[in-house]
Amino acid sequence: MNKCAEKEVAFFGKITAGITHELKNVLAIIRESSGLMGDIMSISPEAIIKYQEKIQNSMVRIKDQIERGVGLTDRLNKFAHSTDETIAKIDLQETIEQLITLAQRFARLKHVVLKTVPLNQKGPPVTLVTRHIQLQMALFASLECCLNVMSAGGEINIGIRKTKEKNAVHVVCKGDLPVQSEFARNISESEKWPVLQEIAACLEGSANLDETEHGIVLCFPEEIGR
Amino acid sequence: MENLKVLLVDDEEEFVTTLAERLELRGIQARSVIDGEIALQMIETDPPRVVILDVMMPGLGGLEVLKRIKAQHPQIPVILLTGRGSTDEGIEGMQLGAFDYLMKPINIEELIKKMQEAIKSHP
Repeated sequence: MNKCAEKEVAFFGKITAGITHELKNVLAIIRESSGLMGDIMSISPEAIIKYQEKIQNSMVRIKDQIERGVGLTDRLNKFAHSTDETIAKIDLQETIEQLITLAQRFARLKHVVLKTVPLNQKGPPVTLVTRHIQLQMALFASLECCLNVMSAGGEINIGIRKTKEKNAVHVVCKGDLPVQSEFARNISESEKWPVLQEIAACLEGSANLDETEHGIVLCFPEEIGR
Repeated sequence: MENLKVLLVDDEEEFVTTLAERLELRGIQARSVIDGEIALQMIETDPPRVVILDVMMPGLGGLEVLKRIKAQHPQIPVILLTGRGSTDEGIEGMQLGAFDYLMKPINIEELIKKMQEAIKSHP
């Protein structure tokens, strides 16, 4: 990435991080206000309020949506802060989980479910020294490649399979899919495939069609050359 | 926790006043303030038992307020509130002497539990 583009990304990240901070304050005010309503209702049972049950149900919905908002803003905030450093040491599993949360809406529009798969072995977290933003772009591009060729009702599972030789991210599609050769051809002909190839190359890694399952295998070096 | 004096410091006025009301309903004497400088003056004139302090505030930031409280009143425990998704600010605050930190939006029961722990550790 050239210096000007880096500055643009950093600017975008700074503004987004600031706004997510504000959003958390908004959620905090809503939580305390609905909490205060709940407190008052619980300490004044003698004050029969008309439609009390409906109010309580509404408060439960508010609480649930606050939790949802908190989860999203947390992830968005971390995403925005991933622009703080061009190259950084990152936790690969955490990055995958973050991207899955942020990409859920895109999958939902296609009626596809995104899921993370736990690491295939115990031990310390898999870390990479890499370009964090571009890594997320690669993960997102791989999801887009799959979403573009999948039908409604499917599922995409993303997980790390660590071996001695490499850290591979497997993006595996499930559901009503054509035979593997046709599925692989559809992906390789999708407009996002060359984009994914380009980003993977920038990360000194690779993106290949999975030879055993319906999906894509991404490989990244533990440390990118500076 | 009855009659416990707490000072809440956060520039989000609606948040801090509502939180104070909720604590008052639980018998806690909660005062709120939206400015770090004024908070320090209030601590001088009427020291609270615990301070709940937002990290990111305009003017005198939360970490600077924390440093000054710890310099003048090391016996007062400070619990930080942070709005950032990461834990960096909270950890930095604990290195500066904060008792602990909570992420916004907070859970009031968790806050009260944290205050109890803070008081126990600062008899």
